Amino acid sequence: MEFFNKLRENDLYNKWFRAPYSYVTGAVLLSLFQIVMLSATGSPWGVSATFANWGAWLYQMVGGSVEKWYYFSGPGAPGSMSALEAGFMSNAGTMLNLGVIFGALLSTLLASQFKIKKIKNKRQIVAAVLGGTMMGYGARIAYGCNIGALFGGISSLSLSGWVFAIFMFVGAVIGSKLLVNYFM
Amino acid sequence: MSKEVMLDCLGEACPVPLVKAEGAIKDLEVGDVLVVQIDHSCAVKNVPEWARKEGHFVDIEEVDDGEWEIIIEKAK
Repeated sequence: MEFFNKLRENDLYNKWFRAPYSYVTGAVLLSLFQIVMLSATGSPWGVSATFANWGAWLYQMVGGSVEKWYYFSGPGAPGSMSALEAGFMSNAGTMLNLGVIFGALLSTLLASQFKIKKIKNKRQIVAAVLGGTMMGYGARIAYGCNIGALFGGISSLSLSGWVFAIFMFVGAVIGSKLLVNYFM
Repeated sequence: MSKEVMLDCLGEACPVPLVKAEGAIKDLEVGDVLVVQIDHSCAVKNVPEWARKEGHFVDIEEVDDGEWEIIIEKAK
């Protein structure tokens, strides 16, 4: 107990694990890590394509079949049946996303800031489900989310990343108006 | 007499605490205090940043694990 009380007063601990980092520090770290990821795995960092695989695995678990879906087997399809057949544990994207979740948990525990938050009202649930569905669907038909299409696109000098940025900004403006007027 | 107003933003994620705080401070007089209760770590950054930029006096108190009170005294 005394150890933890002392730790609370330790400047280095507070600086590294508790105080929020600046936006610039965050941006530099993200850039460095995505370079490491690209050179280690051969493909740019992505998040949301993996969720399509998770959905397909869940659908297969209840007896569904996605073999004929364009997304997984059409010409130039973004998804792949071989990735699905390889399974959950052999999927690099799965490991990355689990890593993000466990990393976030670890950092909040190290900062002693873990808390299970209450759901305040039904509107929060509606906003979360509606927003999540639109973002997930939009990311799939755009062949990427703000990580794969925007961050990966721009950092590999692709024009598509900038096009994505313009329309994501438009979407963010519309989303903010909806949030302020209907969901808070 | 200056008054103290509590703003319950527990369970709210960005940017809701900031938008609510901006709205709440408009109704206050100079010298009044707004206490924003939050449990969203990024609001601990953007709410005080906004309030300081506006020129108000700001104090942050960690009331529990993952729970903060941002105390803002309206300065102008």
